[in-house]
Amino acid sequence: MRRYLLRRLPSALLVLLAASFLAFALLRLVPGDPAAVLAGPDASPATEAAIRERLGLDDPLPAQYLRWIGGLLTGDLGPSYAIGGQTADLIADGLGATVELTLGALLFVVALGAAFGILGATSRNRWTLGTVRVLTTGALAVPPFVTGVLLVLVFAVLLGVLPPGGRVPLLTAPDLGVQYLLLPALCLALPSAAVLGRYLKDGIERTLAEDHIRTATAAGIAPRRLLWRHALPNALPPVVTLLGMQTGHLLGGAVLVEAIFAWPGLGQLAEQALVRRDYPVVQDLLLLLVTVFVLVQLLTDLVHARLDPRIRWE
Amino acid sequence: MTELYSSTPSAPTRRTTLRAAGGGTLLLGLGLAGCRSAVSEAEAPAGKAGAGPRRGGTLTVAVNTDFTPSLLFAQSGQSLQQRLIYNTLTRYDDRLRPQPELATSWEYVEGGRSVTLKLRTGVIYHDGRPFTADDVIFAVKNLQNPLRAAQLRATAAAVTGFEKRGDHELVLKLAHPVNNLFDLFEFMVIADRHSVEDAVSGKRLNGTGPFELTKWSPGAGLSLTRNEKYWQPGRPYLDGVEIRVVPQADALLSSLRSGQSQLSFSVPGKNLAVVKSTPGLAVSEYSTGGGAYYLGVNTTVAPLHDKTVRQALAWGIDRERILKQVLGGYGLASATPWPKSSPAFTEAGRTHYTYDPGKARELLRSAGHTRLDLPLLHVNLPGETAVAEAVQYDLKQIGVQVTLQPTDPATAQKHLIAQTMPGLWTMGHGFAQVQPSTLAVSAYPFNEAKNTSRFRSAAYTKVVRDAWTGPATGAAANALRQRITDTLLDEAFIIDLVIRGSVQVSAAKLRGVTLNKFSYLNLDDAHLVD
Repeated sequence: MRRYLLRRLPSALLVLLAASFLAFALLRLVPGDPAAVLAGPDASPATEAAIRERLGLDDPLPAQYLRWIGGLLTGDLGPSYAIGGQTADLIADGLGATVELTLGALLFVVALGAAFGILGATSRNRWTLGTVRVLTTGALAVPPFVTGVLLVLVFAVLLGVLPPGGRVPLLTAPDLGVQYLLLPALCLALPSAAVLGRYLKDGIERTLAEDHIRTATAAGIAPRRLLWRHALPNALPPVVTLLGMQTGHLLGGAVLVEAIFAWPGLGQLAEQALVRRDYPVVQDLLLLLVTVFVLVQLLTDLVHARLDPRIRWE
Repeated sequence: MTELYSSTPSAPTRRTTLRAAGGGTLLLGLGLAGCRSAVSEAEAPAGKAGAGPRRGGTLTVAVNTDFTPSLLFAQSGQSLQQRLIYNTLTRYDDRLRPQPELATSWEYVEGGRSVTLKLRTGVIYHDGRPFTADDVIFAVKNLQNPLRAAQLRATAAAVTGFEKRGDHELVLKLAHPVNNLFDLFEFMVIADRHSVEDAVSGKRLNGTGPFELTKWSPGAGLSLTRNEKYWQPGRPYLDGVEIRVVPQADALLSSLRSGQSQLSFSVPGKNLAVVKSTPGLAVSEYSTGGGAYYLGVNTTVAPLHDKTVRQALAWGIDRERILKQVLGGYGLASATPWPKSSPAFTEAGRTHYTYDPGKARELLRSAGHTRLDLPLLHVNLPGETAVAEAVQYDLKQIGVQVTLQPTDPATAQKHLIAQTMPGLWTMGHGFAQVQPSTLAVSAYPFNEAKNTSRFRSAAYTKVVRDAWTGPATGAAANALRQRITDTLLDEAFIIDLVIRGSVQVSAAKLRGVTLNKFSYLNLDDAHLVD
């Protein structure tokens, strides 16, 4: 395993190095720079020049790149140019919020997806089936920015039972935090829950049509036991794979939902940093994203190698 | 399949489903009932009405842009917290007359080349350090530093000497008289000189203001608590202020309508009709305006180097329509940059260019053009895009085909400062709400020495310099302001369109809120009633 890991490590590092080059270069290719943003629309060229000098933007590009990489290697991500504060703190705060939102949404995805799937596959009541069909179709068809606004209108403005936006960290005040989390997590989860529900429904229906279920039915096993002990476990593996993929979608979708619910996560941070050309924050965020992907890839390969011994020698 | 299906396990029975749903709801209900409500936590408890202001309550202010610490000493998109954490030397009243704050009195001597300031005693910073004349000296020098990007740097730079007479008297020596010194005093926050670098990085903001910063969460907002040692006895009434960032316009509106926030100055004009029909919310407007939308013209691009063509464009735009459609009617259609509160405002100036496509076409013909193709750069934000589209439509009616160039804010700003704008652009400007000379000296688009339009004129330079160094009031001052207005209207290198309304949306139970001329929120007297 260690040898396999060592063999994969150089390519992973190479990917990270290439990503760092790309992130650095792409930002410099985009017109506009942080000095102009910081100077503001009423500022003079002299003010902009002074800010450029302070930020080190007049230094040669290789020097700027090495300064950034050097900081990363020593664990010093440096200050943010435009947003303020330390880049590491900004990313840590945003990451915490986004992970919290994604995990909350994941819970909804599993709960709603299971309900949609099981009811859709096993119910014989046409009202129940119709409701599940309408709900899953609606959840898939209506984009989150519409669902979000509707949820806020109903639960925050009309009923006044949940806050319309903002965040209280779950670890700080769990009772308040969960109320702030409910609407954004539900909004983010709905499309994925609908997809999961449909997969699960198909999976259960396929399993129920298999011979071993017929045999079990003939043997007199109770219908409920048949569903929970025999049909569901067999239908789950592809759904679990799908759930993994949907987790990626949830992270991506969080960007939009964060804006609707004023949830201060990585999506909002990235948007702010890009608009203000906050080079350190954008660069570090991009590199973080690539690192996560590289690590997940590496982890997947390791798990595969563990499961299939042949892989280690290929 | 049908047969198999019929022999397969039944769905969870209705009873099971109902039990599960009921159980889940009960659990959730019990869980939520047993804990605090986020909604009632967010709502500000009110004091009692009738018997005057009462102490207590936390006010939540919704903003669409976060505080930017690096722009602490500049006019930025979000300046509300400035007067909450800090004080200024003076503040203007409604008629632009300076009133005491940290400076209690002032006297001009030597023909306006020197100002003696008496400073308030007994003022202490949040960390317990006393406020002295050294803090004012630092504040002026701090704004002279180009790194602070302060728009009033030119005025600060006119202060060339300081003479301290004890801890609470200071003489400012000026290189030449300037009539916008009190604009500087209204603009310049008196920050703690020992922790200024911490302040611009957002770590610690130490001021003498009515509230102390307890926490800044980037992207989420600021939390402030009452300064118990505030120099105004009995103030502030509020226990605390939360400034909450809500970037999305609809979400911001929901935040106000649900009672989660009680005050905002960031509601777009098109949403104000909804606010007005919401019980418990009140809408009011400040006469200072909230900056202006303008059409910039690059005077080095043919045929825009011809003044007649620029004037034709100015006649060809329906400002009233822009006001109605883009700002929901909140603001002022105006050919000049001055809001109603400005001493330079005149009705004649405001209506100098009205919508007259016939006259615009005639002017274009007289300049030898019947059809023109021009590029127009605009920032790709909703309001700015709507203005650009309105301009495009209007100019098409007079034979000017405009190609829109949507651009992100950072790139547009770069073009603006680097003087690389195309023939036309639309953006916003500020600084017309105070002394008129400040606009021409401090707002880059209007700067006489160097501006984005690349407009240079000895006459404009002279009138701006005269207005800046001349008297602040009286007939001579008015005459100089009128000459600036006349030059701007005649040369039309910046074609003003509409002055945005500075609109306050607040809970009806909130009283005593004011803004200074630079949109610093003053909550000294603010309180909540039932």
